[in-house]
Amino acid sequence: MGNPWTDPFKQKRMEPAAAEEQADKKRAEDWKGTLGRIGRYLLKSRGKLSVVVLMIAVSSLMALAGPLIVGLSVDEFLVDGDLGMIGFVLAALAAVYLLHSLSVFLQHFWMIQVSQRTVYDIRTSLFDQLQQLPVAFFDKRRHGELMSRITNDVDNISNTLNSSIIQIVQSVLTLGGILIVMLYLSPLLTFITLTIVPAMVFGMKWITKRTAPLFKAQQKRLGEMTGYVQETMSGQRIIKSFSQEERVIRSFEERNAALFQAAFWAQTISGFIPKLMNMLNNVSFAVIAGFGGLLALNGMITIGVIVIFAEYARQFTRPLNDLANQVNVLLSAIAGAERVFSIIDEESERREGEEVRRLPGASIAFDHVTFAYEEETILHDVTFQAEEGQTVALVGPTGAGKTTTISLLARFYDPQEGTIRIGGSDIRSIDKEALRGQMAFVLQDSFLFEGTIRENIRYGRLNASDDAVLQAAADANADGFIRRLPDDYDTRIDAEGGGISQGQRQLLAIARALLADTDILILDEATSSIDTITELKIQEALQRLMKGRTSIVIAHRLNTIQAADQIIVMEQGGIVEKGSHVELMTEDGRYADLVKSQHESGSPATLSS
Amino acid sequence: MVLLWSYLKKYKIAVGAALFLTLVELTVELVQPLLIARIIDEGIMMEDMSVVLFWGGVMLALSFVAFAAGIINSFYASYASQHTGRQLRSDVFSRVQTFSFQQFQQFPTASLLTRVTNDINQLKNTIFMSLRIILRAPLLVVGSLVMAFFVQWQLALVLAVTVPLLAGLLVWIMKKAAGMFKRVQQRVDAVNNTAQENLTAIRLVKAFARRPYESSRFHEASADLQSSTVKTMRLVEVSMPLVLLLMNGSIMAVLWFGTAGVNTGGMSVGEVVAVINYITRMTGALSIFSMIVIIFSRAKASADRVSDVLQAEDEMEDGRDEAPMLQGEVEFRGVSFQYPGIEQEALTDISFRADPGERIAVLGAAGSGKTSLVQLLPRLHDPTAGEVRMDGRKLPDLKRRSLRTQIGYVPQEAMLFTGTITENLQWGREGATREEMEQVLKDAQIHDTIQELPDGLDTRVGQRGVNLSGGQKQRLSIARALLRRPAVLLLDDSTSALDVKTEKRLLEALRRYRCTTIMVTQKMSTTLEADYVLLLDEGRLQAEGTHEELLRTSELYQAIYRSQYGEGGAGLG
Repeated sequence: MGNPWTDPFKQKRMEPAAAEEQADKKRAEDWKGTLGRIGRYLLKSRGKLSVVVLMIAVSSLMALAGPLIVGLSVDEFLVDGDLGMIGFVLAALAAVYLLHSLSVFLQHFWMIQVSQRTVYDIRTSLFDQLQQLPVAFFDKRRHGELMSRITNDVDNISNTLNSSIIQIVQSVLTLGGILIVMLYLSPLLTFITLTIVPAMVFGMKWITKRTAPLFKAQQKRLGEMTGYVQETMSGQRIIKSFSQEERVIRSFEERNAALFQAAFWAQTISGFIPKLMNMLNNVSFAVIAGFGGLLALNGMITIGVIVIFAEYARQFTRPLNDLANQVNVLLSAIAGAERVFSIIDEESERREGEEVRRLPGASIAFDHVTFAYEEETILHDVTFQAEEGQTVALVGPTGAGKTTTISLLARFYDPQEGTIRIGGSDIRSIDKEALRGQMAFVLQDSFLFEGTIRENIRYGRLNASDDAVLQAAADANADGFIRRLPDDYDTRIDAEGGGISQGQRQLLAIARALLADTDILILDEATSSIDTITELKIQEALQRLMKGRTSIVIAHRLNTIQAADQIIVMEQGGIVEKGSHVELMTEDGRYADLVKSQHESGSPATLSS
Repeated sequence: MVLLWSYLKKYKIAVGAALFLTLVELTVELVQPLLIARIIDEGIMMEDMSVVLFWGGVMLALSFVAFAAGIINSFYASYASQHTGRQLRSDVFSRVQTFSFQQFQQFPTASLLTRVTNDINQLKNTIFMSLRIILRAPLLVVGSLVMAFFVQWQLALVLAVTVPLLAGLLVWIMKKAAGMFKRVQQRVDAVNNTAQENLTAIRLVKAFARRPYESSRFHEASADLQSSTVKTMRLVEVSMPLVLLLMNGSIMAVLWFGTAGVNTGGMSVGEVVAVINYITRMTGALSIFSMIVIIFSRAKASADRVSDVLQAEDEMEDGRDEAPMLQGEVEFRGVSFQYPGIEQEALTDISFRADPGERIAVLGAAGSGKTSLVQLLPRLHDPTAGEVRMDGRKLPDLKRRSLRTQIGYVPQEAMLFTGTITENLQWGREGATREEMEQVLKDAQIHDTIQELPDGLDTRVGQRGVNLSGGQKQRLSIARALLRRPAVLLLDDSTSALDVKTEKRLLEALRRYRCTTIMVTQKMSTTLEADYVLLLDEGRLQAEGTHEELLRTSELYQAIYRSQYGEGGAGLG
């Protein structure tokens, strides 16, 4: 670690330019805009806010009135020894002091409510915005990084709002008042005192020019570190079984060190502010003493004025000091706020022209659909139809584009070419949520939320009755295993989903989809990890469910989709064959190969090897 | 808070230097009024210009000394606090890496995240503030108190009543607030948790068009956080008006007694004014206490939460024996396993043996205990009864690391980490060469796909590897496991998303690896590739044997076989 005395000065430099690069270039200079936006959130509670300002004015006045009365009573009564009047003065003083404490209490009382309300608004609008962002947005970001925005960055704003507003208003008020008194006492000395203001502005500029990008870099690196921690937490099973703890800790250390570097410089340099203020304060003190002395020697002012002035100069720089300190807190809040607003400004999934709320029908048509993701063509010229109530099965090797096909149908992405129609209308004219709301999904990852089993199934249709939930569970053959859980339907599932196997999760996902009871059903490899006995029962339930519903099914077990109205064989993003099981078998093409290979692997011949 | 001390000890020089420099600044500040008195008394009064200029110059010089001290203080204070923060993050993170799964249930991901970031930030800021301003306030208060007694002890007795009273109240508020801040941090956890769940399941949320529901869930968590923050802050903010009230009350008392004292001739007006002056100074210093109360009570809550993680008991002890070259002989002897908090046993009395190089299939219904069985081998969990042995040695005797480096585990849910494909593969073995990587990719039947990617092996895979399909992720996970050249390969339903042809090729390629393979599966086609089959039902070993044996003897096995191959398939058997 080197020499502990000199080490603090030998930390790796972080040039403002480098920090700047870390930050989002586009909005690097827009701190005024960011402040304005926080202001707009604040103004939602302008009623309470104006009461707070009023209370600050009252408390500032009372803070001035107190010493005045004390001074008065000392001059008038204490010196004269007038005991009769002292009771009256003390009563007045008591009133002033009470009012002072009360106004201080009230300004905080309401300010906290206003600031926390604002934080709540910002936090929830950030979250609501996240709900409206397209899936592609989430593909590229780590969850932990986004979570860091929801908590750490919003928290930064919160800390500022709690204290800064009162401080700033109070400082400005006090500053104005003191300036007037000083001008009244001696315009010349006031002018001399004010010469420290340019020095202060210059110093502040020097500091904030460096700290603003550092704070941004700090928040960004904090986000990156959070992202990494989150990822390693959800990957614990792998880290452990591969005993990669050391490697993970090592890469964590890299991010930790990067955060340290930004945070160290941000804190050190911003720590200069109060010191600079203190020095200017002391310098002005010295200047007043020196200059005042000169003036007094020439008989231009009295000694009393110097003494009072020195005291006022102190009082004058104190609010300036407070203001300067707030600049710092403010900068770190702005760094947080910018990261929050940059998400709120992301283009949301909702678009103009998506007015249709009700699906016009349940037939599905892909018309020459081509889709590329990050320059890689994933689907190429895909055309097929599913009439209302039909079941269409997608088969083919992994990476053929089956999952992409249904992602397009759900409008997680939009194709570059071609159109997808439901009930004859282009799905781009349909409201995304309405579209998805009228489809039931069983996706590859069957995710369970923290909550009871019942709540998890009810996710399919929130207003479903208890009976409907039980029925759906029974139809999905999930009832059996649920009954064996400690609290059956009220068993809580924790975040890690402990004690519920992957197969059981899928049963629950199926129950969820059954409960949704929609005209269109989408199944993605849902049946692949459920044991065959249960699967037979699910097949029954699915057959029942599919009746009268349009279904798109991706499954690997070919015998489970033989009954499909249409089987589409995909390879490398294109359709190579389509038709019914019988048609495709007589055609003796790819599908027939797949079916044969499955039977081959089941033949006893391979066992002898 | 003991926690903070133990960390700060490492930086005692920086801490000491920072505190000393604060003292320097404070001294300069206190000397200033003396110097101005000099200027007035010896300079202006005596009409001696040189004295005015001299002491004015000294004042300026001292200002710069204080400034220099302040700037250097920034470095030391920030060094100590940021290093402590970094060290804490590092220790918490490393500690978490040693957590058992039981401990993960105790500390959910979202809560750990808050502790690593939010809580440690609080502690860091507390240290920085402590090293810079907090020292000033108590010094000023004590100094003023002493001076007040020195000037007029009878009047100062008023302070002997109010100051302890005030101190008591502040301590009470601080204690109470610490508890409340703990609640606030828990609510932050809850907000984090809701957000994390939502982000993990964003496709599902969208698919089920549950935006309003998710929003309302999050709004609820945020509103809870909001209300408990407001409640807590309101309590601590009471300290400020309280300080004002009590100190101003003291001024009134001093005025009252002072007037009487001056009248009876026991005190002078100057003494009364001086005591009042000291009280005003104390009030100024004490109002910083309101901030200190907030900072310290927050820090206490955060420190507790961080220590909780650092001191969490690890009930799974590490073994002592190195076992560098395991052959891969696996034995289960009467193994039972139960998840904590769940009544039913996940596994009951399982016994079997696998010879080195043997390929065993574990077949069974959903929830029959297949995954639990596999996870006992790398000691992700320990059995509640019975024992698992490798090469005849009990697992708890072996060093966990040594055991795990010889096991290739492919979990059900294929999880890749953000980074390139190469980086993900290196998880298997860090020193692996390019050729070795290509070989395992070929064996895992994913080489061609990766060749087609824009950057080949250097292609980045995103959070959880989103831009790869489920099947591709599964095969990459298999390649990762193969790269370790494991003695035991565990495939937990890892071929479920593969089509039959690819799976067949893959299993054939695996034959070339000399490792014991345990394959959890629900597919008969996978089972057929195994030397020996274990059939699990509700946590019990229902039947075992080769495919032919089971087909003859086990009704359940026959039923599964028929269901997957139809009547024709049954005919083949």
